[in-house]
Amino acid sequence: MESEPFTWHTHSDTLCDFKEGLTLAQNSGAKSLLILTCQQNHYPEDELNALLRSCPETILGGIYPMITLHDNLIKQGALIIGFQDDFDITLFQNLHQLSDEEQLEAYITTTLEQKNNLCGNNSFLMFYDALMHKVEDFIDCLFECLDHSITIAGGGAGNLDFIQRPCIFTKHGLQSNVVLLVSLPKPLNISPAHGWDILQGPFLVSEAQGQTVQSLNYQPAFEVYSQAIENASGHKFSSSNFFDIAKNFPLGIADINHNLIVRDPILVHNNHLQCVGNVPINSMVYLLKGNTDDLITSTEQAALTLFSRKTENSLSTTMVFDCISRVLYMEDEFDKELNVIAKHCPTPTLFGVLSLGEIANSQSGAIRLLNKSTVISSW
Amino acid sequence: MNKALFIISLQHELAMAIGNKLDLKTMLKVFLRVCFNRLNLTSAHIHVYCDHSGIPSKLVPRESTDYQHLLSIPKNKRGQPWSKNSALEDFSQQLNDAQQDIWFQCENGQYLFGFIIPEHGLLIFETHYVLTEEVQKALQPILQKLATSCYTSIVHDSLVKEVHSRQLIEEKVAYQAQHDGLTGLFNRQHINHLLTQAIEEAHCNTHIGSTIFIDLDHFKPINDAMGHSVGDKILRTFANRLHSLSSENIDIGRFGGDEFIILLKGLNVDYQDTILQLIEQINQLLIIPFVIDANSYKLTCSIGYALFPLQSSTVNNLIKFSDIAMYEAKRTKCQQGIQYQPVMSERIKSRLAYVKDMKQSLEQDDFSLHYQAQYNHYGDIIGAEALLRWQHPIHGMESPAVYIPIAEESDLILAIGQWVLEQACRDIYKLEELKLSDSFKKISINISAKQLALPNFQDRVLYAILKNNIPAERLALELTENLLVENIEDSIALIASLKALSIDCAIDDFGTGYSSLTYLKRIPAKVLKIDRSFVANIEQSSESAAIASMIISLGKTLNMDILAEGVETKEELNCLKELGCYNYQGFYFSKPLPFDDFIKLFN
Repeated sequence: MESEPFTWHTHSDTLCDFKEGLTLAQNSGAKSLLILTCQQNHYPEDELNALLRSCPETILGGIYPMITLHDNLIKQGALIIGFQDDFDITLFQNLHQLSDEEQLEAYITTTLEQKNNLCGNNSFLMFYDALMHKVEDFIDCLFECLDHSITIAGGGAGNLDFIQRPCIFTKHGLQSNVVLLVSLPKPLNISPAHGWDILQGPFLVSEAQGQTVQSLNYQPAFEVYSQAIENASGHKFSSSNFFDIAKNFPLGIADINHNLIVRDPILVHNNHLQCVGNVPINSMVYLLKGNTDDLITSTEQAALTLFSRKTENSLSTTMVFDCISRVLYMEDEFDKELNVIAKHCPTPTLFGVLSLGEIANSQSGAIRLLNKSTVISSW
Repeated sequence: MNKALFIISLQHELAMAIGNKLDLKTMLKVFLRVCFNRLNLTSAHIHVYCDHSGIPSKLVPRESTDYQHLLSIPKNKRGQPWSKNSALEDFSQQLNDAQQDIWFQCENGQYLFGFIIPEHGLLIFETHYVLTEEVQKALQPILQKLATSCYTSIVHDSLVKEVHSRQLIEEKVAYQAQHDGLTGLFNRQHINHLLTQAIEEAHCNTHIGSTIFIDLDHFKPINDAMGHSVGDKILRTFANRLHSLSSENIDIGRFGGDEFIILLKGLNVDYQDTILQLIEQINQLLIIPFVIDANSYKLTCSIGYALFPLQSSTVNNLIKFSDIAMYEAKRTKCQQGIQYQPVMSERIKSRLAYVKDMKQSLEQDDFSLHYQAQYNHYGDIIGAEALLRWQHPIHGMESPAVYIPIAEESDLILAIGQWVLEQACRDIYKLEELKLSDSFKKISINISAKQLALPNFQDRVLYAILKNNIPAERLALELTENLLVENIEDSIALIASLKALSIDCAIDDFGTGYSSLTYLKRIPAKVLKIDRSFVANIEQSSESAAIASMIISLGKTLNMDILAEGVETKEELNCLKELGCYNYQGFYFSKPLPFDDFIKLFN
């Protein structure tokens, strides 16, 4: 009989209370500590670093805008999950210092080789600094170097003010510009969902660079985007309400199987739209709309799909990577999303993070960076 | 409408992904990655047609379609590289055989789609769904464009490779022009060049520099005895050690043979300290023995140096001066390095003049042989040692202790040695004519190292004997102990060969060297000559007596005759007699005499 992971949480924002929880977790005999904390806490960084470095247990996790436990949203405080297994962690650090793709590939290859290419491990959780440069290049390169047939779930850590700060918990302390790849001891099952529907389109991405869409249908991207929204809804863009409106109307990149990869426009600059995640040039994008019910339905569907899947091993833990923008969109109704997951979740341990970008395998097996999505993962 | 737009945008996106990079593999990787993401692939692979040496071909002959796996996204499948995946291998073979687009559903429900990149290779997609016919058709112009880009990249790659190999060759030539082939240190030419620059810099910056000349001591015997491969390994090892001293201000080169040169630049007023520290470091490098093929060699070196611009500002002079100083260090066995002084050049000049005088004297017959008689304990003359005497036209009678080492340094010793051999033979002939008593056996002459090293030395001896029509047993050769052990195997062979011709050999100055008794046992010499240093005052020195006694018993054991040199007093004679030595040579009996006076001794 597998023992249930140790779980402790607090709504307190002080390091003193966190320290108490950490001591309890250590006393539980756990070998790996997954630490998830909220951005709103007031933890002196030096003290926190000293605390993490003194921990003999394997440390993983991050600081997220919010965290969840069962069907509760925690906006301030911390959650510690203590696992009996000693998780194998691969840390990719100082990624901002790698100037080109060759260096990135060489670094990932060397790091993986040092760990024997993580042979035998197919299931991973990924915690990363959401605001580091070229996250998607890293993900693409990691997939190319890792293997076919891996399963992965993850979420970007960081602060909703989009100012980069150290946000990933490692044995060396809090770090920025890092990716923490956790090899799970049991097979991971995932189910992603978003629930956004097509409002208008397609539009041809006629100019783009990385995460910035410069033009759609050969016209300035924001002009096309704002006109389409204004024509189809009662919204009117002003100089200060871009985010309030845009959070309701993401873009969706259509793939060949008519799946949509959601891209969240978060900024407008010089009539260009900046998204969380790359938008390839010459791809086709749609303007998406959503409503709370559809979003929740899609999440419920994802939960049902995941939990009804037959697995060789019994599932003990479920972790949800839910996009923070869904909370901002659904506001008070977001609890419903947590409820539908909790309602169907068979595992005793259910927790999650509200992240800045989510990671999951696509149907083809490739690792994708998602926006405005939910990734339910269970092992 | 949306479908048409999708196909157009797909084509556009894939087409735009072609040719973004010049290098073939990188170019194809960019393309493959876009295919992978846009077509929602599970894996994507490219094989390219290659020539016999495995290099992607520009133009593929129709009959030959050898292809190789070039790249895959992702790189592995279940821990194995795709290039070793049998399913992919089989499919690529089928595709290549068919030479047209094919597809196939695998057992796991996945699909493999294969496309021909015209004249360049194979493109394979693994999907979890069926690629529609429209999409497959839409790929055709893309594949054509990809082929064109492949051609461009291959041409580019071959140009890059060509430029690179040209660069490598140029670098190699430049390297060879500046470096010594054996040790990798700078060669003589480049050191000269660097020294020219250093002299200029020293003038401009009012700095001081030094050329330091290093020569390994007694390196030649190692080369001769152990072979050049061992010698070369020692030189390489020493060069590596020296190289550890190189820095911005220290350049190191091999000058040739076992000679190395160090260029020390940018010195200030405390230059002497810096130079001496460096010399100390060089000596430290030799403390660790050179272990080559399980043998250990301990070497020392002689170091000389000159300063620029203080002592000279020309390359030739500086190298010459430091070389001269090195020779001075070697001559005086100084390990600390010696700075060049003008007096050294003067000494060399006078030495050269001295050699010139010797040469002239040899031509003018100013050399003569004196004979010092050798006696047995009955007082009979049993032989004589021929000793060279030189009547210098200006200095008068010169001491052999002065001119023999100088003659040894130059090759003049060969001509002198030959003259001695021939003159001794002529004198032996005269002695033969005199019909001397039976107790008189032979005349011995001294042989130098350089003579012994002559490949035709034995022939020269025999020729002189034959030419003068004398019995071979009347001539004996004296070889010093140190000379013999320098090349022991050849010496043993030579002595044995001469012995077979009735020419005896004596080991001269015995007891002063450090030869192994094992060697001595193998040397078929007839006589052991106790060195004069053990004979002098032997009756008062128990140590000398003990050594002489040991040599005497050694001689008896090895069946050799013993002869004591430098016997000057009756006391010495009596002591030697008591110790069992019955043959003598020395002033007590007779000093070396001109031939005409020597023969009078028989009367």
